[in-house]
Amino acid sequence: MTADNEYVIALLGQPNSGKSTLFNALTGMHQHVGNWPGKTVEKKEGSFKREDKKYIVADLPGTYSLSANSDEEMITRDYIASGKADVVCILADSSQLSRSLYMLADYAGITVPCFLLLNMSDVAALQGKTIDAKALEKKLGIPVVPFSAPDRKSYDGFYTALNRALIKQSKLDYTVLEEKYANIEGFNELKNIIPEGVISGYSKTWLAIKAIEGDVPVIAKIKEKLSAENVKTLEKIIVSIKNGVVVAGESKFAWIDELLEGSVKSEKKSASLGKFDRLVTHKIWGKIVVIAIIFGGLLLSFIPALPFMGIGQGISAIPDPLSDILIGIGCPKIIVSLFCDIFIRCISFVVQMLGFVFGVTLVFGLLEEIGLMARVSYVFDNSMSKFGLQGKSVMPFLISFGCTMGGAAGTRVIDNWGQKVLTIALSWAIPCGAAWAVIPLLSTIFFGAWAPVIILAILIVMILHICVTGFIFGRFLVKPEERYGMIMELPPYHKPRWGALLRYVFGRTKDTFLRATKVVLLVAFVFWLLSFTKDGNIANSLLYKFGHFVEPATKLVGMSWQSFLAFLASSLGKEGALGVLSMLYTNSGTLTLGSLMAAEKASNFNELMLANISRPEGLALIFAMTFNMPCIVALAATYQETHSAKWTAIIGVYYTVVALLLAGAAYYIGLLIF
Amino acid sequence: MSKLTDMQKGAEGTVVSVSGDARFVSRITSIGLTPGCKVSMIKNEKNRPILVYSRDTMIALNRKDCSNIEMEVTA
Ligand SMILES: Nc1nc2c(ncn2[C@@H]2O[C@H](COP(=O)(O)OP(=O)(O)O)[C@@H](O)[C@H]2O)c(=O)[nH]1
Repeated sequence: MTADNEYVIALLGQPNSGKSTLFNALTGMHQHVGNWPGKTVEKKEGSFKREDKKYIVADLPGTYSLSANSDEEMITRDYIASGKADVVCILADSSQLSRSLYMLADYAGITVPCFLLLNMSDVAALQGKTIDAKALEKKLGIPVVPFSAPDRKSYDGFYTALNRALIKQSKLDYTVLEEKYANIEGFNELKNIIPEGVISGYSKTWLAIKAIEGDVPVIAKIKEKLSAENVKTLEKIIVSIKNGVVVAGESKFAWIDELLEGSVKSEKKSASLGKFDRLVTHKIWGKIVVIAIIFGGLLLSFIPALPFMGIGQGISAIPDPLSDILIGIGCPKIIVSLFCDIFIRCISFVVQMLGFVFGVTLVFGLLEEIGLMARVSYVFDNSMSKFGLQGKSVMPFLISFGCTMGGAAGTRVIDNWGQKVLTIALSWAIPCGAAWAVIPLLSTIFFGAWAPVIILAILIVMILHICVTGFIFGRFLVKPEERYGMIMELPPYHKPRWGALLRYVFGRTKDTFLRATKVVLLVAFVFWLLSFTKDGNIANSLLYKFGHFVEPATKLVGMSWQSFLAFLASSLGKEGALGVLSMLYTNSGTLTLGSLMAAEKASNFNELMLANISRPEGLALIFAMTFNMPCIVALAATYQETHSAKWTAIIGVYYTVVALLLAGAAYYIGLLIF
Repeated sequence: MSKLTDMQKGAEGTVVSVSGDARFVSRITSIGLTPGCKVSMIKNEKNRPILVYSRDTMIALNRKDCSNIEMEVTA
């Protein structure tokens, strides 16, 4: 307990047990998402009030067990040992009860009070399973409740069980399991030499079985407390046990099977693949069907997105007339520029993007909910695991051909933080729709009929970029030693729960709006400062001075100061870059933030380009713009999804630098060819 | 006794032994494939992940990793 009338609940469960659904339903908008200190693992905490009491909910990382194979598992164990939690809520999937009770069996021996939620009881009922929760409760000595996380009605049972567990300080009864452990050779001897209190909250039984499983951190902790002689005994026992994990696992499942015997009835069903699953798991058709599903989903996302985009575009029409009016009535120019150029234009940008985020979250959230994303994961697991990613990552990648922020929003279905950040980092390398609008145009201007070759070169560089970036970032985000081949469940299909889904989608959209607006405003303000001039003469802006100052350096990668400024503008939005080029080369118009983000290109744009930029320089410009940061809103979306300022900055800087390097390479290759 | 990866589609069996590197064994144990557990083979095609059904769960497994799972085929 942290304070009077304040309790901490930790949620523990395997992936797909419904932890997030429960967490979101309990805490609503009162949640804070961050990272566990020093770890690439997401930390979610939230709170709720009930009958004058405040409850803090800690969503522990979804793991399959409490072993020591990953950061997630270590964090979970350490959190429980820290004593922060007053009660642990263990989730199991009623439709696959014996498998998902493994977490409970692995928890057995931990002395922190707990209770068991039998989630997905609606699914189990549909499958004709009946579970006698009362009988389980008797055997386990802790509250056991049938539950259905998306169903508001089942929460009364949850709150009651929570209170009972807190009042009774209910501890899991594991005597029967311990009897099974006792049959493992060396277990009793080991347990007898382990002193009390090696790790607080963990009993000797738990420590002994982990030692048998060959758990390195546990063994080290035990050794610290042992006499030299006992250390030898311990080592002897451990060496003599082969395959400790399997032996211990057998005991755990034997316990689970006994536990369920007589308490669970099910109509025997023979397992087979449905028609659709046969198609998805087909060697050739699988990939085709999955890609079709994703593109179909992408198209569908546009329907809910359109109203947002309309509103956003409407807003973007405001600044020009409004600034005329404001200046007309004598507002200081600087205020007008700040308000119209930054504030309104950014809001317009963000609103348009929200449409996309909303659409993608809704459509792909729905596909995830139904169970389709798990099939996507299955089909592409082999290809994606080369980068240390889940098969699901293919979806954000494909979406990124349309829009990077949509791709970023799509990474929500990836439940591992490191993999999520890595997916976003790689999806930046995929030229988005705006790039595909700009690049063919520039390529045709400079290279005429050879433009397709340039496009092909861009696609090849994209693949190389993804491989190299995947290698570099992957080492930090998804540690190679934590990767393994596919072991995944294909969950049964679920009917969508529209209420819960829509609540979630609206919540996320609102959240994105607030966060993205902050980032976009900040970056836009910096650009505004850099580009601001009193008289509208470009030569008086800091941006111009900066461009000129670094021109000797940018010349090395084949970029004049004009190209370089266009490159910088393209990191706000690719569409603006052409307008900036027009302006700089015709020396007309005022360089404002507005023009950086959305200027029109000049009517004699082609001639302008050819007259001022050589073909190698053109090539450099094309590559620099293509592989630059996709746009300011993609940056904001990246921050929103990773909620890590550090990784967002790393990715941003990395892409800017790599784009310039690629420009340089393109330039020198161009010099050789032309 | 035969290997899991050699089981025909539609065959059923019981796991006899599981071995492999520590992380794999830990993960496969936590998903419920332990000695004594009943498994039916749903799909087993060359160069593709295998699909098995066990403990009410459809499980996809990397073919190479589970080459060390030994089975007693019953049907
Ligand atoms: N029918 C049904 N679906 C559920 C229930 N609990 C969760 N789900 C769905 O199961 C999927 C996985 O749940 P999620 O909360 O993401 O699991 P997590 O991986 O443990 O966080 C989601 O599509 C949920 O909507 C439940 O009690 N009944």
